[in-house]
Amino acid sequence: MSSSRTITRISTRDAAEEEPSVTRERLKDRFPRGSTRRMTQLGLLVGDVLMDMDPGPDDAIIYISRYAETRALEQYLESFPTASPTLFQTSIHPSAVQQVMIGRQLPVREFLPITGNEQLVAQGLTAALVSPASRVLLCGGEERGTWLLEQGVASDRNFAFACALSRDPDGALGRVTMGNEVCPPEVPLGLEEFFRRLTDREPFTLVAPSAQRISWTWE
Amino acid sequence: MTPAPVARITACDCLTAFGDAPATHQALLEGRIALEPTPVLGSRGGDAVPLALLPDRVLDEDLPPRWLDFAERLLSKLPGDGWGSPRRPVIVTSSNFGVGSLYAYRLNGDARNLAYGTPFASVEQLAKRLDWGPNTITFSHACVTAHLGLLHASRLVDARLAEKVLVLSFDLLSPFVTGGFHALKILNGMMPAPYEARDVGSIGLGDGLAFAVVEPASAAGEFSLLAQAVYNEMHHFTANRADGAGFAACIREITSAAAGRRVWLKGHGTGTLEAGKLEAGELAAAFPESPLVSWKGSLGHTLGSCGLVELALTLCALRNGRAPGTPGSRTPTFTSNIMLEPFSVSNFDAAVCTSNAFGGAHAALLVGAA
Repeated sequence: MSSSRTITRISTRDAAEEEPSVTRERLKDRFPRGSTRRMTQLGLLVGDVLMDMDPGPDDAIIYISRYAETRALEQYLESFPTASPTLFQTSIHPSAVQQVMIGRQLPVREFLPITGNEQLVAQGLTAALVSPASRVLLCGGEERGTWLLEQGVASDRNFAFACALSRDPDGALGRVTMGNEVCPPEVPLGLEEFFRRLTDREPFTLVAPSAQRISWTWE
Repeated sequence: MTPAPVARITACDCLTAFGDAPATHQALLEGRIALEPTPVLGSRGGDAVPLALLPDRVLDEDLPPRWLDFAERLLSKLPGDGWGSPRRPVIVTSSNFGVGSLYAYRLNGDARNLAYGTPFASVEQLAKRLDWGPNTITFSHACVTAHLGLLHASRLVDARLAEKVLVLSFDLLSPFVTGGFHALKILNGMMPAPYEARDVGSIGLGDGLAFAVVEPASAAGEFSLLAQAVYNEMHHFTANRADGAGFAACIREITSAAAGRRVWLKGHGTGTLEAGKLEAGELAAAFPESPLVSWKGSLGHTLGSCGLVELALTLCALRNGRAPGTPGSRTPTFTSNIMLEPFSVSNFDAAVCTSNAFGGAHAALLVGAA
């Protein structure tokens, strides 16, 4: 299989070790009034970059994150034995995207939340390349944990990214292509390193677990 | 559109409180109820709520977690090998993965639980136990996640990126999830009665695991995935649009694929009132001649695994010519097409299976003889 998409938009945010309250104050004007109060830090960051893509109902959204809603998960666990219904809802993996799309009442046909570890980026790109949607919005990110981070099961950094991958060749910032050749395995590209390459506009290649090479190039 | 290429299902089975798919199918035909009143927080007590746990299992998580043993037991029936290799990917789908281990860690401070607590760590533990290669992909979209696994599997084989794909779903309950649904007041101690018009809605929850092997349409096999659809309302976290538009948008694609076929309907039907009424109404409008059933009044809602668990049971029904009714429910029902008792499906060509999830997520598939 050979498949290709045009990179037409890209947006990245590095919030490093920023506290959630600072992110909320900084981004509150990007969201409908009153909607940020219950949004998570990751929801704010993912929402910020996703809105740069102007999502439409026929787009496919692919969301990739290793840990997803760490803070909500931590706080939900802390709420026992009187479990918090709100934190239960927001602790689910795809919540960041749902927070922003629900806040703006934006339905979307296809939403594929993917998690994973070393192969997460490769699998997200593969899903984008086999999607029949005319435009795929590939987004993702992480939020910095607290007590789960101390135990090594959370991200140590806040970041988010989104890119629009189109079948239409117009307006190309670059291309992502999956080749036909079968390749030997290589060291996988992790999510943070993918984010850095997007931020720095660096090209890369990786070998997907299906043994196909995926190339990301810039114009 | 959510174009999904036709794909063959060459193997499929599940594990519920009643056992494997044939045993569960038989129990449902007999109208047996697996749900039993159980303290919502396990060893920490709390209100009694209806749960259907796998045999010899308690709600509190063990070390190592029991889902590893149950997955190994289920997949011991799986034909073939080389799973996780470049041409034989594994798609793992769940809603909770190993999050019960994080709850256990929070409760007892035993750091060994952390090795199972994140979704990717739980899948890595599965891969290690079952000797899979690195070609695994993990979907996490709450209670429609199994449908996403089947959809992606169909695309991988259609794109010739895989010769066959193993889709595995597992969701075992823990106080993490029972506490959450109890806090939402829909796991409220009453037994669920899907599609029954009553004053108060309620759900039950159940353990579930299931697998399917998806191959290209050219492969030999008994059943085909004839169409698949998804739709995300993004209207409210726990409620649907009151006009039922989200249900209709998802079902619409299946309706056109099912034209000319006689189909029966296996709905999501958890026992909540608003969603159940909307679902039953939209399905009856789209398929006015088709009987509708739900099995969650017996098995409970098996969360992220429900789409695949109930597909395995649907295939049993198609194979045996007899579908279970809607255990736990009585008249009056939301619509007149709801079947409370088992019925013959030998005159039907195919079945429609639906699932719904948080965020107004909808998924549906059409399955029938190859």
